[in-house]
Amino acid sequence: MSVSDRVSRRLGQRSPSDIQALVLALLAGSVAVAVLTPLLWVLNSARSVPFSRFFDILFRQTTLDIFLNTVVLVVAVTALSIIVGVPLAVLTAQTDLPFRRLFTVLAALPLVVPSYIGAFAFVSAFGPRGELADALAPLGIEQIPSIYGLVGSVIVLTLFTYPYVFLTTRASLLSIDGRAVEAARTLNHTRLEAFRRVTLPQLKPGIAAGALLVALYTLSDFGTPAIMQFDVFTRIIYVRTTARQVDFASIFSILLVGLTVVILLAESRIERGGETSAYVNRGTDRPGVVRLGRWRWVATLFPLTIAALALALPPAILLTWLGRSTPELAGAAVDFQWAFAWNSVTVSALAAGASVLAALPLAYLSARGDGRLSSLPERASYVGYAVPGVVVGFGLLSVALNVTPFLYGSLAVLVFAYVVRFLPQAVGTTRSSILQVDPQLLEAARTLGKPPLVAFRKVVLPLVMPGIVAGAALVFLTSMKELAATLLLRPFGFETLVTYIWQVQEAAAYGQAAVPALVLIGISALSMLVILGRERYDVKE
Amino acid sequence: MMTTNDDTRDIGSTGERQQSSRRRFLAAGGVVATGALAGCASLFGGDEGGDYGPPDYDAADAAMEAMALSEFQGSGAILEGRPAPGGRSIVDLPNLAGDLSIYLGGGEGGLYLEFFDVLEEVYPEFSYTAQSKPSSELAAQISEEAQANQLQADLFISIGAGSLGTVVEEEATRPLTAETVEPVPEAFVEPSNNWVGIAGRARAIPYNTDRLDESDLPDSVMDFPDADSLQDGMGWAPTYGAFQDFITAMRLQEGEDATLQWLEDMQAAGVQSYDNEFLISDAVSTGELDAGFANHYYALRVLNGSPDRPLDLHFTRGDAGSLVNVSGAALLDRDESAGLADVFVRHLLSAEAQEFFATRTYAYPMLPGVQPVGDLPSIDELETPDIDLTELSNTGPTTDLLTEAGVL
Repeated sequence: MSVSDRVSRRLGQRSPSDIQALVLALLAGSVAVAVLTPLLWVLNSARSVPFSRFFDILFRQTTLDIFLNTVVLVVAVTALSIIVGVPLAVLTAQTDLPFRRLFTVLAALPLVVPSYIGAFAFVSAFGPRGELADALAPLGIEQIPSIYGLVGSVIVLTLFTYPYVFLTTRASLLSIDGRAVEAARTLNHTRLEAFRRVTLPQLKPGIAAGALLVALYTLSDFGTPAIMQFDVFTRIIYVRTTARQVDFASIFSILLVGLTVVILLAESRIERGGETSAYVNRGTDRPGVVRLGRWRWVATLFPLTIAALALALPPAILLTWLGRSTPELAGAAVDFQWAFAWNSVTVSALAAGASVLAALPLAYLSARGDGRLSSLPERASYVGYAVPGVVVGFGLLSVALNVTPFLYGSLAVLVFAYVVRFLPQAVGTTRSSILQVDPQLLEAARTLGKPPLVAFRKVVLPLVMPGIVAGAALVFLTSMKELAATLLLRPFGFETLVTYIWQVQEAAAYGQAAVPALVLIGISALSMLVILGRERYDVKE
Repeated sequence: MMTTNDDTRDIGSTGERQQSSRRRFLAAGGVVATGALAGCASLFGGDEGGDYGPPDYDAADAAMEAMALSEFQGSGAILEGRPAPGGRSIVDLPNLAGDLSIYLGGGEGGLYLEFFDVLEEVYPEFSYTAQSKPSSELAAQISEEAQANQLQADLFISIGAGSLGTVVEEEATRPLTAETVEPVPEAFVEPSNNWVGIAGRARAIPYNTDRLDESDLPDSVMDFPDADSLQDGMGWAPTYGAFQDFITAMRLQEGEDATLQWLEDMQAAGVQSYDNEFLISDAVSTGELDAGFANHYYALRVLNGSPDRPLDLHFTRGDAGSLVNVSGAALLDRDESAGLADVFVRHLLSAEAQEFFATRTYAYPMLPGVQPVGDLPSIDELETPDIDLTELSNTGPTTDLLTEAGVL
């Protein structure tokens, strides 16, 4: 603080920097409140349902069934992801598996495929109207085991979310102190026992972090259960919202948000528990490489199979659909137009711009402010990230209709939905960029006589630009593949890549969605690149 | 030559423009139909489908006019012995101009849109935007939008009278003109002209002829849960608007308790749920199901795409299972484009449009002068239940019943 500031503060006057801080706080606060609106509205809707109806719906058999389905799905996917992700991490980080680097990349890559595209590809191949059925029909096999339901949902979701577990486990493995393992070996433990008693407990926080990411993703995913015709909360909320049954939709939303809170609480408890355990070692004393011996080449089958199922199969299926067009059985599918892609780009670009603007005050306050209160708006914005897209869609639909009718059906509502959901991505990248800017640079600019806003614009902004651009790119790319809120909130006559794929999927005219689906995978791959690119810039704290 | 008389007329008059745009319409319609039928023709072993470009107006004019109507029709054996359709011709209708927004109830999707595209080609100043969603979804959406005075479209085309009735009750509509609804029989028009039927759809039972004989299927829909041959082999689409209308009809005829019992018995008999009835008809044809509940035309569409499949239709008698519902149109209460929407609906009720619906979508036409296709029983031959279609709008208790039975 400069001398003049200190003096004016003493004298009880508001210094310019105080006013700035106030304005900044107000801005950040209002953004945070705006972003919380959909959730608050949903809570309000649920509150306005009469008690008797509330309990009536809550304790119906169907509600309990859906609850059970959701919980079973989350648990199954999480468990399976751990079963797939942890061995893969161990294999690629701690053994002498051949082509380790390649398998590491391949194992992480399934994140690139949006899970509903994966579901779409699998149903188009293995579903009753799919390619496999067509191929087997002449052989006299009329029915193949149904891919729909719990089994299909679990398989698809596991294949495309296990990389979360893989990546976090791998990060943990790379930072484990090898000397404890060596000590265990000298104390007559076998390799397996040493792994179990020394390595595994240190891995737990990493595995848990990944598992909880998987659980959150599964809980809020709409596309896959809907395509697999498995009734979980997201699917039912969508059905009830489109049927405009506000009471059902709000109650189910509350239950879904409740489950999300449970998962987040579990995550925070495990994190806190992990902090007291072993110190973080930067890998100079990594445990020695485990020799696989004659299992060396056989072990490659595991990552290969997973990569084939998750990475090779969906694009291959989509490419074969490119070659053939489905016979116009339904007559119900509309032709693809490039205007749909343009619509996607437009609305995502608007969302990116709005997110970046909204993120600036939050990021700045959180990075430069002192005290817990200054990071509150930033944390509040994460709420929107955790709330599933279908609930945001439902909330905003109600808000638009009841509070701001003039905005109903306009593009602004959809853009706002994207901002609510993806703002934290922009905040995160911007904040870490701001953190890297030396505050003394700003002071130096001030001493050279620049007013604060000009100093910010000329000194800080150019340095922060990479973070802002990365945030905009992330929001752009994730908005392009968002499904549930887009389906609920799109304006009349506004079709995007995603809504087109959805329409086509419902009509089982798979051939027509091949191109848009491949485009979406490409876009998703780009967002992965942006994330990976940021990793190199970030200075490890 | 027919054209010489036209050459001498005054080119500037509206009448000439009207006539020439009609001819262009028929020619364009012929082009669209022929082009689309190019693939269809090979299926039925007809002549080689060719690549038809836009017609050369002068040269094709006379020839097109002579055979234009037949180009609207589908192809193949179903057209044998088919008389020319009677009724109001598009030629006699006023021009369409302006932008029209349409809420299109799902199920017909591409086929109706094909027809709308032809209209767009004929009338250069006319364009439309359509949003396709399930009819019941649209009914709920329209009701809510009307309440907040935020209607987003001018016209609602639904695949069931139930959804139409709902939006009328919510006062989201305005009446069609008497001239528009005039040719349609009373049973298929709302008493105050708030909606009009465009194409009829009979409830039917598609069944797999390899697995079942027609005698295995009961004549009364209430006997289906008990039929031995149908256990674990049936399918339905409970979220589909037409199915819900069918349940409403059952409710009105048999009472709520009997309907609830039927729903529970059907579930005990192992009925499977699907998202829409086209998928059911397809599943029956591949053997995934033995029989199902669907509108009659889906089976015909499946057969059009794959003629060798073992699929046939059974109709029950005198109960909700043989209900003849209509897809229809209702004008939404928006000031913009009200007149345009009304004339548009009049176009949907023209002889050419009805022939299109009859031979391309296989629906029951609304005009007495247009026959249904192939060996479909005529509407008189179907033993339909004695229910007023407007009563189908009473959907609230139906959804409650379906939820109570655990179906929804």
